[in-house]
Amino acid sequence: MAPSSSPTLLPRLFRRLRSLWRSATGGRAVELPVLFARFQAVLAAKNRALEIITDMGEKLGGDYLFDINYTQGAYALLFEAMEDAVSAFSRLTDNRYPELAEVLARIDGLIRRMLTSAGPGSNKLVLFHDDITWDLAGEVGGKNYQLAVLHNELKLRVPPAFAISTAAFDEYLQHNGLTGQLAEMGDETAGGEAALAAMRRAVLAGSLPPDFAKALAAAVRKMRSRCGRHCRLAVRSSADEEDGFFSFAGQFESILNVDCTESAVAAAYRRVVASLFQPDAVAYQRHLGYGLGRVKMAVACVAMIEAEVSGVVYTAAAANERDTMLISAAWGLGPGVVDGLTDADLYTVRKGENPQLLSVRVGRKELMVVRSEDEGTATVATPVELRSKSCLTESQVLELARRAMTIEAFYKGPQDIEWAMDGQGRCYFLQTRGLRLGEEEDAASAAAPLPPEDLPVLMRNRGSVVQHGATAGRVFILQHVDDLDRVPRGSILVARHDSPHFVRVIPFVNAIITDLGTPTSHMASICREFAIPTVVNTGDATTVLTAGQEVTLVADSGGDCTVLQGVAHELLRRQRRGAANMRQVYEYRRQKYIMRYIAPLNLVNPLEEEFTAQRCRTFNDMIRFMHEMSVQALVEGAVRQGNGLLKFFGRQRAVRRLKIDLPLKMLLVDLGGGVAKEAGAEVTFDELTSVPLRAVLQGMMHPGVWHEEGVALRGRDLMASMTRAADLGNAGATAGYNVAVVSREYVNLSLRFGYHFSMLDCYCGDQPRNNHIFFRFVGGAASITSRSLRLRLMATVLAEYDYVLKITGDLLVARLSNIGSDEVCRILNQTGRLSVYVKQLDAQLDSEESADRLAREFLRGNYTIQP
Amino acid sequence: MSQFSIMVIDDEKIVGSMARLSLEKEGYDVETFLDGESALKRIKEKFFHVVITDFKMKGVDGLEVLRTVKRLYPETAVIMITAFANLDVAIEALRDDVHDFFPKPVKIKELKASVERALKKFKESHES
Repeated sequence: MAPSSSPTLLPRLFRRLRSLWRSATGGRAVELPVLFARFQAVLAAKNRALEIITDMGEKLGGDYLFDINYTQGAYALLFEAMEDAVSAFSRLTDNRYPELAEVLARIDGLIRRMLTSAGPGSNKLVLFHDDITWDLAGEVGGKNYQLAVLHNELKLRVPPAFAISTAAFDEYLQHNGLTGQLAEMGDETAGGEAALAAMRRAVLAGSLPPDFAKALAAAVRKMRSRCGRHCRLAVRSSADEEDGFFSFAGQFESILNVDCTESAVAAAYRRVVASLFQPDAVAYQRHLGYGLGRVKMAVACVAMIEAEVSGVVYTAAAANERDTMLISAAWGLGPGVVDGLTDADLYTVRKGENPQLLSVRVGRKELMVVRSEDEGTATVATPVELRSKSCLTESQVLELARRAMTIEAFYKGPQDIEWAMDGQGRCYFLQTRGLRLGEEEDAASAAAPLPPEDLPVLMRNRGSVVQHGATAGRVFILQHVDDLDRVPRGSILVARHDSPHFVRVIPFVNAIITDLGTPTSHMASICREFAIPTVVNTGDATTVLTAGQEVTLVADSGGDCTVLQGVAHELLRRQRRGAANMRQVYEYRRQKYIMRYIAPLNLVNPLEEEFTAQRCRTFNDMIRFMHEMSVQALVEGAVRQGNGLLKFFGRQRAVRRLKIDLPLKMLLVDLGGGVAKEAGAEVTFDELTSVPLRAVLQGMMHPGVWHEEGVALRGRDLMASMTRAADLGNAGATAGYNVAVVSREYVNLSLRFGYHFSMLDCYCGDQPRNNHIFFRFVGGAASITSRSLRLRLMATVLAEYDYVLKITGDLLVARLSNIGSDEVCRILNQTGRLSVYVKQLDAQLDSEESADRLAREFLRGNYTIQP
Repeated sequence: MSQFSIMVIDDEKIVGSMARLSLEKEGYDVETFLDGESALKRIKEKFFHVVITDFKMKGVDGLEVLRTVKRLYPETAVIMITAFANLDVAIEALRDDVHDFFPKPVKIKELKASVERALKKFKESHES
């Protein structure tokens, strides 16, 4: 072993050292600089991906004219960046998460199929809801998918159900020779009633392809074994875009009370599919730019429960009343409420940790919908003793409200939920979909005081405003639904009941006013989609207003409605024109849809069990996962190396703790020059030599930014992280905690304050062109309102420091580059202040005004938080 | 409802549909076409105050649309949008008196502002 001559001494010694070091570090360790270079490669690729995502979000957001060349080009670049990120990540983590490449391939497959309008990816014809996974959304349609989510993810009570997929639909059309017939009809003849009637007849007369029939028979058998021989089903539409941007509310047939046999379900299936070609439904599809045959029909077969009461929850009453929930309920089955067949009970609830019942309006429920003896339903007179009895008790209303809030929180937006309650008071969820509310801006303008008009008032403050707005036109009183074809364009449609049939004229009329109806009906959903001013349940509009009369309707977002005689020109002129709703453009929607698999962030908290590669559903999830695991891999690598070196030399340390006057525990990984040479295992602020980390910490320690009264609480909050962080031997121990990877000019800082996660990446050297700050913030836990207000406050402050900002849902991304080091330090200091300041806000953030006020105070250097 | 008519020509339907929706909101009458031939056929029947056209289209391209429109109606403002922006095209279009030239994706707000400028110019020349 002894060196024989000096030229060979060094290499041999080095080899010996390396082998000793490898054995000390378990043989797997990669040198820290190599590890860091890999870490940087992940960071660079995912930052590139984030830049493209941000650009796509902006360009596809409705403010730009773009074409498929843009979308395809941008996506190609994004995919390349994601591929680079995944392969760099795989090198960094020694391919510890091979599933991530599979997730990338799955998402890529979904997006490419969307961009090329290709058919479904799998060929599953029938699936039970338990087997529906996130990537099958398009194949089982909105209704099936959302029910599966309620059951599989939120663990809410949903009746057993199976889906008949869009692949089955394609097979059915193909098998019966209807694909060609559809193509021959083309878009232009789509409205031809005779052609549509022929299509419906052909669908109803079709036979199931053998593999489809076999799959259906097996599903029916399974359903009977689960729910009993006498189980009945609701067979409902679940078209591929249904419950996406547009609701399709009430457009397709639902067959209730279907016998759970193969023949009965097949017959109901044909009826639901045939309803795709009903004139009303075709009219609706055409309004949304769908050519005939573009909408593919999946079907949901849901076990029926013995519903004693059914109804709908709107988790937000209006755009400016997001804290109030609206619950309608009627005896019997759902159509009583959703088709506006009866004057339902209406409950309003103030949302919050302890929801409060604000008001109850018991309707005159003269009619109710019940199961027929055989198949289908019947509308019967409600027993007299039940008519004016409230369907729900206060505790039932509040329990329902709590669950609805869970659903809303999951979807991060207001929901339109159908539910039913059985005789034992068990509540089942039957559907959820995004609730369309008017835009906030429009609501604000509509709520502005109206200028006085010298016109006679015909009606004031009657009924419920479904969609706000001001408009004028001539009254058309609808006596019978058959008269819909005679409604002139630009009319004010006045009718006794609301009805989903109105869809035929909704895009052409200026407003709708009804005597009866609920703000939670299918028609109401559609009026909101098309932003047609609508007021329901006025009691007597059909008698107060007369046919041909010229009137102005003012329905404001505060819920007040006024009908004036004549045209209030000045008032209409002042009505701000709303932004065009680009979602009405079919091609736009198709391209915009891909963002569903790109932008949303579902994976937030690395401490949750769900924080795994398999749970990534979007590119943003993947980026979040890779970031967290990259930091962890780097720290673990450094620990291994540090431990190895410790054994070897007994003094070097690669991972240290920061000893600092802040109620948080931070680990330091020094890549070189970030910590003074003489520093030990615990590094004081003075021993820190990393320029950017010093600047951020100075901001975080700034006098007044931490509030005395909050520290005790925060201390408890952070105790867990302190304990966990101490045990670095465990894999995953660093996940979600505060880690700073530093060099003299560089910091990558992952911070976790409670449910807030932020990542700051900064290079701060002598050359301004090399300098950058990248700051990402995700905030959870609080209500949707406070979360968005918190981001609003942060955006206001960060914009002041010239950050380029983008907010997507709960995520804020801020970037700055090409600035001198002094300026970088100044901005880092402010960013440090802001990141601890916002953590302490919650109750104080109750309105946009409060967010703006606190932002102003922050910028003035006043960090006092007053309720 | 408006005295101003706008024509939009682009071989991708999405561009025409989005432009129509945003410009109709402003109160303009909008007609959309998917190719230069059918657009020029219509131009011969009706005066449009503004023509917004894609540059690169099969058959009759944006430059040909520009020249024909300017020959028939010197007062019509032509706005050219293109995904393949290059200086030569822009210069050629400028020589042919294009009102504005935008690379795709185009910010709708900027397009609207350009239309408004063109219409203002049109109104002023008629008032004087």
